[in-house]
Amino acid sequence: MKLSSILGLNARTQLFAYRYNTQKGKRIADSKIQTARVLKKAGIAHPEIFKVFRDSRDISSFNWDSLPESFALKPSRGTGGEGIIVVKKRIDINSWLTTQKTSVTIADLKLHTQDILEGAYSMGSVPDVAFIQEYVGRAVSFRKYAFRGTPDVRVIVFNKVPVMAMLRLPTRESGGRANLHQGAIGVGVDIATGITTKAIWHGELIILKPGTNRKLHGIKIPNWTTILEIAVNAQMVSGLGYLGVDIVVHPEKGPMVLELNAQPGLQIQLANMEGLRKRLERVEDLEVRDAEHGVKIAKALFAGRFADRVAVEEGIKTIGTKELVKLVTLDGHKIDTWAKIDTGAWRTSIDRSLAQESGLLDTKNVLWSKVFKGALGTEKRPIINLKFYLAGRKISTLASVANRSKLRRPLIIGRRDLTGFLVKT
Amino acid sequence: MNPLLVLLSSQQLGPVWPFNFLKYAIRGAVGAGVSVNTIVLILLLPLVAAFIAAARHLIGLRGFGIFLPAALSVVFVATGPILGVGLFILIITVSTLLRFIFRKIKFKLQYLPRMAFILWSVSVAVLGVLFLAPVIAWPALTNVSIFPVLLLALLAEDFSRVQLGKSAKTAITLTTETLLLAFISYLFLTLTFVQKIALLNPEYYLIGVAIFDLIVGKFVGLRLLEYYRFRKLLRS
Repeated sequence: MKLSSILGLNARTQLFAYRYNTQKGKRIADSKIQTARVLKKAGIAHPEIFKVFRDSRDISSFNWDSLPESFALKPSRGTGGEGIIVVKKRIDINSWLTTQKTSVTIADLKLHTQDILEGAYSMGSVPDVAFIQEYVGRAVSFRKYAFRGTPDVRVIVFNKVPVMAMLRLPTRESGGRANLHQGAIGVGVDIATGITTKAIWHGELIILKPGTNRKLHGIKIPNWTTILEIAVNAQMVSGLGYLGVDIVVHPEKGPMVLELNAQPGLQIQLANMEGLRKRLERVEDLEVRDAEHGVKIAKALFAGRFADRVAVEEGIKTIGTKELVKLVTLDGHKIDTWAKIDTGAWRTSIDRSLAQESGLLDTKNVLWSKVFKGALGTEKRPIINLKFYLAGRKISTLASVANRSKLRRPLIIGRRDLTGFLVKT
Repeated sequence: MNPLLVLLSSQQLGPVWPFNFLKYAIRGAVGAGVSVNTIVLILLLPLVAAFIAAARHLIGLRGFGIFLPAALSVVFVATGPILGVGLFILIITVSTLLRFIFRKIKFKLQYLPRMAFILWSVSVAVLGVLFLAPVIAWPALTNVSIFPVLLLALLAEDFSRVQLGKSAKTAITLTTETLLLAFISYLFLTLTFVQKIALLNPEYYLIGVAIFDLIVGKFVGLRLLEYYRFRKLLRS
């Protein structure tokens, strides 16, 4: 990649943050209370704030018994997710269980609130404001990936266009926080489809979630277009031309804006393996009408591959995890066959006997052979040309030939050929 | 006689304007009794500040802002670098240890009393070191003045605060970077060759530093450490 594609700290501050962000916008982003106020006024979904503590009297006069089953206690100007206590269950009349599986009592909460007010967690240790906010749990699709915390989607928005996005997954190490510097995992997301691509942890690329064998690529983020549109709407009311919007997906209520960030981090470039500066420069002078328009532009400009762009123009189709596809044989006939749609696989794969029957193993059609090392030893698999129709769309691609006779579906369609489709599970 | 004074008096001066007015002003002040060391120190402060700014924006060393490393380097000048680093490490160790113990035994104090308690222990620890003076008879220790010690004790608060907000690893990296910056700044402040340039050509030197500041402030390229941070992107 070219040097000029990458955004460094100097360029971020001088070319984008200084130039496009107003003082007022920075004040709004720095205070979570003000952020919530602005979002509420604009009608943008965000977690509700139950109570604000401005001084010690608020602490003593508040009826702590009235707190709900689950909530989050936060500093308004905290940085890096510090000073946040999230509880998800009431144990008894006096205490709650936090998401980190420790218990807190009302006395603990009072002391913590006092700490917040005195500025223990605020930028520059200046006196702060504390507040109690609605608890946002994990959406079903993220449950397997995040450790004791709510993952969020960081979207960088510039000039009403969402330019890059990253899913941030809390880990054991990050203590429930979705902050990369605290040890959370950053997962790059394809802007066109909302499917995750690459992942980084401590600045290094990883494939699997640490400690498990769960793949981090191929995760489909729910409500993707809504997430992008909400991010753009938040940018438009924030007074910031360039910012990071952190969005959480509420299990019932859907996507909501958690935080705005006037100086979003640059690790997102590693998580996506893409340079931010080039993307920012591409949208800098565009005339963008509204959120919908901005999202359309983003999907067209920043789709993962060329095929995506075509697909976006055609509109995105939703398919299931198993689909009846029409396979084109060597002599041009179409045969119906069931296929498994697998966003966890990269390449499409076809059963050897089906390929044999449809004449696709003809030497003219075999491109090359690849040696696969699997659990049962090494196996030589031919890579062939394959054409099929999926949900009415013709797809010409490469497929590996494998012995799938013991499996239910003779065909697996991988992520490589699923651009422009949404997979509904 | 002070080598700086020798240096100053050995320089032949031309007319006052346009390029020698500061040189005459310095001689006047020194003649009236201002210490030449003070003048050199103040003259070199912009250089130290410019160096710390460049270290962040061109190299990518963060440190704790500009004040902390600069103040630390002046402390080093006053106490000597070895005692300075020693006191600094002592102070950080005490405050970090205390914080760690508090966390382990789940002893909760409110924020300001907690900071006051940390300063209390820092003062006791520094006093303890000073009380060792009769035993180890080290001139640097006996000559130590109140201001560097006071400055170090107050800096401990900043360090503790940053440690509070960051992981241990970040705190250690930042501390090391700060020490490195402070030490190089200390060299700038004490090397005869640098002092000579500043004292003998104050006009060119000051304008040079100012221009350097402006250039660093407008630089938008990648920092040196960012080449490393984004190496995978660059290779892809």
